[in-house]
Amino acid sequence: MIAARWRKVLRDIAETPLRTALAVVAMAAGAFGVSMILTSYSILTRELKTTYSDTRPASAILSVDGAADDALIDAVRRVPGVSDAEARPVIHGRLRVGEDQWVPLTLFVVRDFRDIRIDRFTRDSGAWPPGDDETLIERSSLSVARAAIGDRVVMRTVDHGERPLRIAGTVHAAGLAPGWMEHAVAGFVSKSFDPQMTQMNADGRNQHLRLSATSADQSEQLRIIVTGDRLDEHHIREVAKRVSQSIGRTFTRIDVPTPGRHPHAAQMDTFLFLLGAFGALTFALSAVLVANMIHALLSEQLRQAGVMKTLGASTRQIAALYLGQVAILAAGALCIGIPLGISAGRAYARFCASMLNATIADATPPLWIIAAEVAAGILIPLLVSFGPVYRASRISIHEAFSNDIGRRPFGARRFDRWLARIQWLPRPLMLSLRTTFHRRGRLILTVATLAAGGAAFIAALNVSAAWTRTLDADGRARRYDVQAVFPHPYPIADVAQALATSPDVLHAEYWTDGGATMGESSVSLVGPDANTKLLAPLLIAGRWLTLGDDAGAVINQSVLSLDPSLHLGGEIPLLISGRIVRWRIVGIVKELNPRPTVYAPRRTILGATGQPPDQTRSVRIVSRQHDVAGQIAASKAIEQALDRAGIGVAGIQALSDSRKSFADHLVIIKTALIFAALLVVLVGGLGLTSTLTLNVFERTREIGILSAIGATPRIIARYVVFEGVVMAVLSWCVAVIVSIPITFALDAATGQMFIRSALDFFLSPAAVAAWLLLVLVLAALSSFYPARRSARLAVREALAYE
Amino acid sequence: MIHLRGLTKTYDTPAGAFPALRKIDLEIAAGEFVAIVGKSGSGKSTLLNMVGGIDRPSSGSLTVGGAAIHGLTHNDLALWRGRTVGFVFQFFQLLPTLTVAENVMLPMDFCGMRPAGQRRSRAMELLDRVSVSDQADKLPSALSGGQQQRVAIARALANDPPVILADEPTGNLDSETSAAIFRLFGELAADGKTLLVVTHDQAASSVSRTVTIVDGCVA
Repeated sequence: MIAARWRKVLRDIAETPLRTALAVVAMAAGAFGVSMILTSYSILTRELKTTYSDTRPASAILSVDGAADDALIDAVRRVPGVSDAEARPVIHGRLRVGEDQWVPLTLFVVRDFRDIRIDRFTRDSGAWPPGDDETLIERSSLSVARAAIGDRVVMRTVDHGERPLRIAGTVHAAGLAPGWMEHAVAGFVSKSFDPQMTQMNADGRNQHLRLSATSADQSEQLRIIVTGDRLDEHHIREVAKRVSQSIGRTFTRIDVPTPGRHPHAAQMDTFLFLLGAFGALTFALSAVLVANMIHALLSEQLRQAGVMKTLGASTRQIAALYLGQVAILAAGALCIGIPLGISAGRAYARFCASMLNATIADATPPLWIIAAEVAAGILIPLLVSFGPVYRASRISIHEAFSNDIGRRPFGARRFDRWLARIQWLPRPLMLSLRTTFHRRGRLILTVATLAAGGAAFIAALNVSAAWTRTLDADGRARRYDVQAVFPHPYPIADVAQALATSPDVLHAEYWTDGGATMGESSVSLVGPDANTKLLAPLLIAGRWLTLGDDAGAVINQSVLSLDPSLHLGGEIPLLISGRIVRWRIVGIVKELNPRPTVYAPRRTILGATGQPPDQTRSVRIVSRQHDVAGQIAASKAIEQALDRAGIGVAGIQALSDSRKSFADHLVIIKTALIFAALLVVLVGGLGLTSTLTLNVFERTREIGILSAIGATPRIIARYVVFEGVVMAVLSWCVAVIVSIPITFALDAATGQMFIRSALDFFLSPAAVAAWLLLVLVLAALSSFYPARRSARLAVREALAYE
Repeated sequence: MIHLRGLTKTYDTPAGAFPALRKIDLEIAAGEFVAIVGKSGSGKSTLLNMVGGIDRPSSGSLTVGGAAIHGLTHNDLALWRGRTVGFVFQFFQLLPTLTVAENVMLPMDFCGMRPAGQRRSRAMELLDRVSVSDQADKLPSALSGGQQQRVAIARALANDPPVILADEPTGNLDSETSAAIFRLFGELAADGKTLLVVTHDQAASSVSRTVTIVDGCVA
């Protein structure tokens, strides 16, 4: 038989179903939020890592002069330090997606589809392996190709023109950056994909095209995996160097991708960091929410605690009763919150994985995560209830029976006396204000709960807005509309003459682009006209290039993060065409482009690279129309004009498209932020509603007194709603203030991870306004109904209400 | 049974120190039925609270049933109270979520007074004594005021305490019911219980002694 005191606990839970439900829902919402984030975080962290390492990523990629044949592979495999090697030539071209519209295409030539040893990919759908004139497209780039399996598409290479290609199926290459973000198509072809491409001309004649190994379109690439520590970049470089020196072949380029890092690892890190940060914020929100709920539940039990004391209950017995009650409610909340949180977390993990082109092989959260969720779900409520339980169990009987339980009388504090002097307000409002501030413990907890939610919500939208603004600022910094890149240098005069035939071209500039090495890292060189009006990146130090800067350079933030000792006025040493050059740093810019880039006057770069000044490999064009449609129309017109002049194009991109690609890289991060904001709205909204409703229940007796002295239900509802609104507005002020440091921290951390520089702080007025509106509406709604209910109770009932 | 020597209680209020009781000396023998009367604010309830260990004296000594309760710790006081004193309040103070019988069983539960299996029959016995045993399994809200107060008296008797303290027990009841409650108290006194009742009620004529408090002193 259960002891009467425990029956009281069970009965208290069962006989106040609404209150119990509110408390359980609030706690379950907290448990849901935390377990959803923990689940998705733990699954994604584990699966993203294994998805990538399962591909056996290459330690180094060596570009070799001449064919990478079996003899070469065997020789490389025998080099000490090389664990495995595989040849995988790469063909660069473009794929037609519309009339005169092309997207970049990279085709990897796979020597044996049954023995893929490095940078593995798996069959997704359709045929395997592809036939001679077929390709398997990486699944995330199928939408970029605007094609379906079985479609015949047209590819184009610079030296060899167009040829048809059938998409035989899709594969999943988890090691590649998702195609829809890159706005590029990646595909795989077999060894028998004949370099002697046969193309059907418009007149029906077959024409043989030769794709030589020295072609601008193809590079013979050799991928190796090293023995020993595969995460040691220095060791990998040593091995790669040994390969290039011990084999009697010329290697034109050695790339060492950051070991163990997916090409989009920075993006994933940023995303996971945000998920973790908002997990912590949701956790804090839930803890305050639970504390608030328990505070509300126990404060109405104080009188009963007093009665039990007169019956001989000891402090420990009372404490045990209430802790037991909290544990039962918490367990109930867990039973709802955790399973829902886990399934939502799994679904969210799947969604994020699909955006990152990863596969979730195992969607079970680690057991310790579930154990931690359950432990936290029971312990946190017990922990936060310790204070109120202690107070309830230690309360003196005298205090418990006094009218204003456990509270210092109004007027004891200076603030109360100040409030009491405000007499010009309508009396019900005055009453609301004084009651609000009199019940200080409740006020602090309620405001803290709402503010925690609000701060997380505002911070999420602030960071999202900061990313949008960074993107916009970067767009404004580039004032050309179309950029065309050529496979090899063309005389500027020829290009200019070709462009002059297109009425869409307003202005063109011929910058020089190149590459250099700084330490062990490769950096891009961009040489604009010294007096260019087409580039105005955001300067964070120094100045932009001027006509007199012969050996002056502007670096971006990514160069700085490679070598933090670089400074304004100092020199940057660069290895260009086998020669070390030193340029003076005159400015540092911040841009969205995460690639380390050095800007120097065109003639300076030409001087260092030895390129002839009257030739160019690229052109930046200002078109007549600057909108998206205008840029796309101009791209087509420019393609046609260059085509007519016999100038090959390696790539042509409207700026709107490159901005879209940047924006698509941010989608996952913004999705995470918006998801966090919505989760906070859900958890905070439920918490707010239940807290305010309980607050009103707690005051039924007081409402009875008001009714007794003639207040109509309408007046009472107004009075209670006003109190809710006062708390909402207070919490909103706190939320805005607290969101500022959170935003700063998230801007700095996510910016640093993704673009190697903190984002500019931005307090989004829309976020601030949205939270105010939301909190006001919720406060009004969640106070109004319980207030009306209490006001309709008979006065006697309300006065006797326990 | 109850000895008060120089008992003083002073409250600190925002308006300054307020002496609720001043140097009270009082002796109450076992089996006495004492009414404490006086004007509102005279200190009657404070006196009752002191005797019941609900509130602590500022100075003076107080022994009840041989125990010097001014020296007991918080927890000892709770246990002592549960076994020695039964309380009856003006607003009954039954726990709303427990049935009538469970309310009566609760003090036994807290003090571990009887084997758990016997508590229900003890509660029924007491409820029968106060004539509400037919209401045993109802919740307090289903009972009339008089019935609730009878339950409260049954609950006060649960651990068979030698002392019963009642603060305005009939303040919320009609005169007929009040008379019945006082008859019940008279029977308890006849059984040897010591009763201390704060009251304004005329029905209190059956008491053996009346103590009048004026401005915190025994008049």
